[in-house]
Amino acid sequence: MTPLLEIKNACRYFGGLHAVEDFSGHVKRGERVGLIGPNGAGKTTLFNLITCFTPLSSGAVFFDDTDISSLKAYRVARLGIARTFQNLRVMPNLSVFDNVSIGALGALGHSPLAALTKRTNYANDIGRRTWDALEQTGLQDHASELAANLSYGKRKYLEIARALALSPRLLILDEPAAGLNDTETAQLAEFVLRLSGEGLSILLVEHDMNFVMSLCERVMVMASGRKIADGSPQEVSNDPVVLEAYLGSEEEAA
Amino acid sequence: MFDVFFVQQLVNGLSIGLIYALMAIGFTLIFGVLNVVNFAHGEVYMIGAFAGLLAITQLAPPLFAVILVALAFGALAGFGLERIAFRPFRRFRDEASLKSKAIREATLLSSLAVSIIVRELAEKIFGSNMQSIPQEYLLLKPIEIGPLSFANGQFLIFGLSIVMLGGLQWLLKHTRVGLSIRAVANNPMGAAYVGINTERTIIATFVIGSTLGAIAGLIVGLYQGAIFPAMGFAPGVKAFVAMVMGGLSSIGGAVVCALILGMAEAITTSFFAQGWGDLVAYLFLVITLVFFPTGLFGGGRERV
Repeated sequence: MTPLLEIKNACRYFGGLHAVEDFSGHVKRGERVGLIGPNGAGKTTLFNLITCFTPLSSGAVFFDDTDISSLKAYRVARLGIARTFQNLRVMPNLSVFDNVSIGALGALGHSPLAALTKRTNYANDIGRRTWDALEQTGLQDHASELAANLSYGKRKYLEIARALALSPRLLILDEPAAGLNDTETAQLAEFVLRLSGEGLSILLVEHDMNFVMSLCERVMVMASGRKIADGSPQEVSNDPVVLEAYLGSEEEAA
Repeated sequence: MFDVFFVQQLVNGLSIGLIYALMAIGFTLIFGVLNVVNFAHGEVYMIGAFAGLLAITQLAPPLFAVILVALAFGALAGFGLERIAFRPFRRFRDEASLKSKAIREATLLSSLAVSIIVRELAEKIFGSNMQSIPQEYLLLKPIEIGPLSFANGQFLIFGLSIVMLGGLQWLLKHTRVGLSIRAVANNPMGAAYVGINTERTIIATFVIGSTLGAIAGLIVGLYQGAIFPAMGFAPGVKAFVAMVMGGLSSIGGAVVCALILGMAEAITTSFFAQGWGDLVAYLFLVITLVFFPTGLFGGGRERV
């Protein structure tokens, strides 16, 4: 069985800057994969390539055996790749419910006629998906609040809820634990584990190594746009190449 | 002070303010979604009036049908405008381009260019003078209520504006396209990542905003008996001022400010010579910019 997500020789150049250079990797169905690397390694660019927000310079991305390299971002989302952001992208002036129903709306798509006639209330399919996602993330009591009034931690869950409303098969999390305290991070890890248990594949970037090492079954390491290691958390954390990328080589350090 | 004439002027001001509001909403919707001022909105207003006038002279249908014609042409004009003046500047989708001032300003200028070209074309085809409008379509039949006298056009303006403003609110709050528009206005990248077709949402916004503008143009044309290629300029400026006063992206704010503006103009003309009325808008604009840089209802995302 082919992997759910397969990245083949992906390259992305910004002028002379090789942000992502010949990156190949995959995420299997139901797998929890971490992507780590020093700042500026190209992790977020790689996410942008996978979600087709930034076009590839060369290479290809396959999702469920479909080449998605040339699709538009919203198409990729509808195919089943949902993501959250490092700097949150919730809609601050919309209610929590509306924020999440955007995900549900995005998943269903609509004809121009339906766009004008179908209501977005609590009763129809959009409403049901929205409620499901709100309940999964424990935000149901905040449904009518403005997103801007939520705490930072809650807004993180709001973004995840919006992504879940898409009923994705792959959830991409960009630094989900950033800005959370230890208790909140542990709760988040538990939550991600639960989603994974329901069959969702997870790909995440995170700087909190404890979070990555405890949560992920496999870790890919990036440095200067290239993949330098790929393996279990144990293997990766003992890999001299990885240590060098993070800490500098021993000669330099000496 | 509260003599009949004054009340009359207030009602006139209210009806003209409603027209500014309809136009200002077109501005505000498009600004909300794209962060760009659409300077060709006045020409959409003019196209609505001319489309209606052509329908009248060619087919002489009932007024209801004339409004539908203006609506259709307004929608078409909005669609075309987006294609010609706005779409080409959205080729670059990365975040830096989305936030780039240079691209915003290029878009703004391209809409200004389209505005000038369309206006000049209309002058070439129709001449720059006021068009003659068949008498039976003029909305100037007097209706007397006590000592006050109104034109039937004023009632049409009231009715239609309130229906359209209410309809728009309903559309934004309760329909799928409305939710998409609010999502894109709040955060276009976030919306795209969860499956919202932002391009189609932008087109929908243009179509809706332009429809309101075109209908406003037609009714005002018939009410004032003045349909001419440059007719969109003055109300365009007023609507722009209303949008700025309202805080750029607040629809409610734009409507309230448009009403204030219309009333203020009417009151001014009742105490001073006619020409002073137009000055009010500019005065308001300056006051807003100096003292309320985020607008009177500024949930504004940035300074004007």
